[in-house]
Amino acid sequence: MSRADLAAGKVIRMSLRFRLQHFLLMMLLLVLAVTGFALMYHDNALAQAIIRIEGGVQNRGVVHRIAAVLLLANLVYHIFYMLFSREGKAEFRELLVTRRDVDDFLQALRYNLGTEKEYPRFGKYGYREKFQYWGATVGILLIGFTGFMLWAETFSMRFFPKFILDLALIIHGYQGLLGFVLLFLWHLYNVHLHPSVFPMNPAWLTGKVSTEWLRREHPLEYEKLKGEGLL
Amino acid sequence: MIRHHLAAALAGAALLSAGLAAAAVPPGVNDCLECHGDKSIEKTLPGGGTLSLYVDLQAYRRSVHGNSGCATCHVDAKAPHEKLGKVSCGRCHADAAKSYAGSSHGKLRAKGVTDVPGCDGCHGKHDIRKSADPASRTFRLNIAATCLRCHKDRAIEQKYNLPDQKVMIAYEQSVHGMASRKAGLTGSAVCSDCHGNHGILPGDDPKSATFRQNIPTLCGKCHSGILEKYERSVHGKGMRAGIAESPVCTDCHGEHTISKVSDPNSPVSARNIPKTCTGCHDKEAISSRYALPKKRFSSYMDSFHGIAVEYGMTKAANCSSCHGVHDILPSSDPASSVNKANLPRTCGKCHPKAGPNFAKGSVHVEVTAAKALGVFAIRMFYIIFISALVVLFVLHVGLELYGRWREKKEGASGGKGGAQ
Repeated sequence: MSRADLAAGKVIRMSLRFRLQHFLLMMLLLVLAVTGFALMYHDNALAQAIIRIEGGVQNRGVVHRIAAVLLLANLVYHIFYMLFSREGKAEFRELLVTRRDVDDFLQALRYNLGTEKEYPRFGKYGYREKFQYWGATVGILLIGFTGFMLWAETFSMRFFPKFILDLALIIHGYQGLLGFVLLFLWHLYNVHLHPSVFPMNPAWLTGKVSTEWLRREHPLEYEKLKGEGLL
Repeated sequence: MIRHHLAAALAGAALLSAGLAAAAVPPGVNDCLECHGDKSIEKTLPGGGTLSLYVDLQAYRRSVHGNSGCATCHVDAKAPHEKLGKVSCGRCHADAAKSYAGSSHGKLRAKGVTDVPGCDGCHGKHDIRKSADPASRTFRLNIAATCLRCHKDRAIEQKYNLPDQKVMIAYEQSVHGMASRKAGLTGSAVCSDCHGNHGILPGDDPKSATFRQNIPTLCGKCHSGILEKYERSVHGKGMRAGIAESPVCTDCHGEHTISKVSDPNSPVSARNIPKTCTGCHDKEAISSRYALPKKRFSSYMDSFHGIAVEYGMTKAANCSSCHGVHDILPSSDPASSVNKANLPRTCGKCHPKAGPNFAKGSVHVEVTAAKALGVFAIRMFYIIFISALVVLFVLHVGLELYGRWREKKEGASGGKGGAQ
């Protein structure tokens, strides 16, 4: 945390490495969604137009697979970074789901309904962020595994019968739809439309949030930084 | 006109003087040409038009009959003469005349209809040449033009309720038409190869070569290797057993429009074959009557193969890639390319090293509880799960907004702030 930041009342929430990973993930998921849903809904006129724009069904597949490989690379880098770097390990600990998250969730519900006086006090990541992170991780692993199964269909069928590949295909498509719903209804709400951040939480671009915001929305993290003398 | 009468009179006088004694001797070609060699000789028809009576000696001499005399055909010819009797080609060509009499053309002609062709309509008159002669109207490469002289004529088509001229002209663009017109291949089918010549009959006449049940045999005249395969196929056997819906050659390939498989407009091109096959195989009546599997089109079009082919990636499998072409057999037949035991080999044509797992599961996946329970259940799970998630998200957002709104209100009225 630089002096200039502190003077401006800002605090770092996403380091450059995480911003780059996030940006790459966002772009790749967009490419994968556009190319993937066009195939899944190939009866739809818009999907057909998109496939034409992508240069036909073969090029569509090539683009989809290039994006998939880059996403996999991003994922592998992320896993290594989270498990072995100093910064990553700290983040990983913050992201672990605990009993407390369930309690926080229930407390937030009660608070919102008006039967509880106190809103839960979150650390760096509350249940909303953790749900997003782990939901996306499970989704990407599932969609990635089925995707590679379908890509190398002849190789896969050395181990699995045809009907397992049928299942992989349906999981791949609907898991994509599920991820899409999670991103648009949950993530975009939380980082753009949520009353505390509207119109946008700037962390994904500048990496910084206001100290005041951190104090209100993530008081435990605020207090921790304060205790460490970083604020 | 006066000149003609004069010429005729002179010729008559010459003949008379040449010998009453030789009255039984028919006039020679030169005798006839005295008058008919005149380009302007003509007669007035009852309708008011004129008919040229000129005979081109050169063309006649080059014709197949050029060495016989005029009287061979015009048996009652004398010089000079009034109206002669009709020429009967059948006096020599008895077989042709007999089959002509039984044909569509012949029957109408017998009723006195004059705008259907007699012998001369196709063969010509004084200039008839052997059909092997490239200059002949009935030379193989000229036959289409000869037939189309009438069959391209709208007036004639309407009068006799014949197929549209587009159908006729389509032949010229077909693989057969192009082979004869462009490449000059005499082995390619021309009108008469399928429809016959003297004995031509309409396709709905069971005696016609183009009657539906006769089509495979007809096409097999040239495509004999294919006929042999077809006869062993489920379609061929069905057809020979009298099953009307069983396809014959033309049901898949078309008739006058037949084109190469590589032609994208062909009904049997990679892109079009799914529609062509399912033209029958998606028909409820046919599937039910012969206990055939249903939903063949949608279950294919929703597969990777179907989508790929639809977008022009024609190396992806179409119906015939797996089921075969002329040799299609039901999957229950051990010799069928889609018999479970043979599937790995069939799939292996495109997927190298395809193993027995390729045969475990259905290729045409119909997503119903009965046909593909696993896929059906997973899809159902996701649909319910995603729907529930959407509802919960919306509820959560609503609650949160409500909570924040209350917090603000209480904050404004001096209450305690919530989220610290």
